[in-house]
Amino acid sequence: MTESIRDKTAIVGIGTTEYVKNIGRSELETSLEAIHQALDEAGLTPAEVDAIYKIETPGEDGNSELNVARNLGADNLRAWGGFGYGGGGACAPVVYAAMAVATGMASVAVAFRARNRGSGARPWSKMGARVRETAAFEAPYGLVSPVQQLALVTRRYMHDYGATSEQFARVSVTQRQNAARNPRAFFRDPITVEDVLSSRMIADPLHLLDCSLETDGACAVVVTSAERARDLQQTPAYISGASQGMGPRHYMMNGLLYKEDPFDLPSIYAARDVYASAGLGPADMDVALFYDVFSPMVLWQLEAYGFCKRGEAGAFVEEGRIDWPDGDIPVNTHGGSLSEAYVHGFNHVLEGVRQIRGTSTCQVEDASTALVAAAAVVPSSALILRKAP
Amino acid sequence: MTQDMIASRPLPEITDLTEPFWAAAKDRRLEIQRCDGCGTFRFPPEYGCAACGSMLATWTKVSGRAELYTWTEAHPPLLPYFMERAPWPLAVVQLEEGPRMATNLVDDASEDYEIGMALRADFEDISDDVTLVVFRRR
Repeated sequence: MTESIRDKTAIVGIGTTEYVKNIGRSELETSLEAIHQALDEAGLTPAEVDAIYKIETPGEDGNSELNVARNLGADNLRAWGGFGYGGGGACAPVVYAAMAVATGMASVAVAFRARNRGSGARPWSKMGARVRETAAFEAPYGLVSPVQQLALVTRRYMHDYGATSEQFARVSVTQRQNAARNPRAFFRDPITVEDVLSSRMIADPLHLLDCSLETDGACAVVVTSAERARDLQQTPAYISGASQGMGPRHYMMNGLLYKEDPFDLPSIYAARDVYASAGLGPADMDVALFYDVFSPMVLWQLEAYGFCKRGEAGAFVEEGRIDWPDGDIPVNTHGGSLSEAYVHGFNHVLEGVRQIRGTSTCQVEDASTALVAAAAVVPSSALILRKAP
Repeated sequence: MTQDMIASRPLPEITDLTEPFWAAAKDRRLEIQRCDGCGTFRFPPEYGCAACGSMLATWTKVSGRAELYTWTEAHPPLLPYFMERAPWPLAVVQLEEGPRMATNLVDDASEDYEIGMALRADFEDISDDVTLVVFRRR
């Protein structure tokens, strides 16, 4: 049963590098830096780490669990793994860290993501002359990048539900307002809906300011048992709910267009299970950290996670209901991928922990629960963090 | 970054699974798989049926009639081939038989695209072994 994981474990330490365009060191170095910081603030030693989970991108192995464990000086790893599917994997390493600790396979688990996406090349730009799998039926037509795939889905969403570019822009604007208070955020200058709509078109209807940043950086968290968490130095963020979800006949982002119902999103399945796992529902959530690689995705997350019905999120956003501090459900209080940093959504996990600790730069008053959700449109994952079990 | 990218238009790797599609396109026919177990048409090609799990399917000629499901116009950054021709319109069409495919629309400029517009399949040779299925207004 999904609830068997409920409140058995907690996040007891978080660490992050700076978020910049070119960090000037390898993903292995930034991983270690973030992990050391997370262990230090938890009051735990690298030698105690016995599980490591990460988000990984195919072809990237510099910061494998093996390399990280050795450079960290971990005595013995008893559990490890890497999770793909890009931003859909944002919560997955933490989900597995919680599983490993809750089942007794490990006692101190590290979960992390490091990515040099500010200085490194875009994955699609490395495409070879011959392409495979579903891309074989897309790339010859010129359909190659995530923003193009999402633009196709977004236009259909506008057609089916009447959503507007102004509503998408409103997501970027509110997240930038939040980022303005966050010293870690890459972009902190306030923007208006007009600024978003007049920014360069990337793939119609998506403008430059509807798109996430491209930054270098790393983030890490430390997970241990609830029992041990109570004796450590930080306020524990108990992991009350954890899930992954794929749904039927799914592909990556491109594939939404092959499904009979393109908005039958993986997030809908991850949402159902994360709520069941925590024994909570959307009305119980105090803050939501939603993966937001492109602004319309936040609308789809609001719908998938039950804050509004399908097709209603545009109006919900326009009415200020995701704004901090007065909205019904403040979203991406750190600025998200649109303004803080692009670390495949792992920075959203850290913000969830800060909200539970009461240390966010856009603190939701008396926040006792935080929902963290990975990408809506690819095989996904989610967490519910709680102050008191 | 640009100098590391492929200069040519990307081409499909033709595999055992996908060869019937490309062979039919070369002969000016649009063929997709139809599940032998439940009759569901599917695209892109797969080994098994997502509806019933059957591993058996028959390549079947379809009507080529479709409607525009969605579209975008891609602006830079793009692969060099498309960069030279930017902005580059992209379309997704829904076949009369149900499945959808990514494609390009020929004839119309993107300002004339309208979701739901009636289309028919056509064929465009882009290399010795690859013919793309494109669509025109019906």
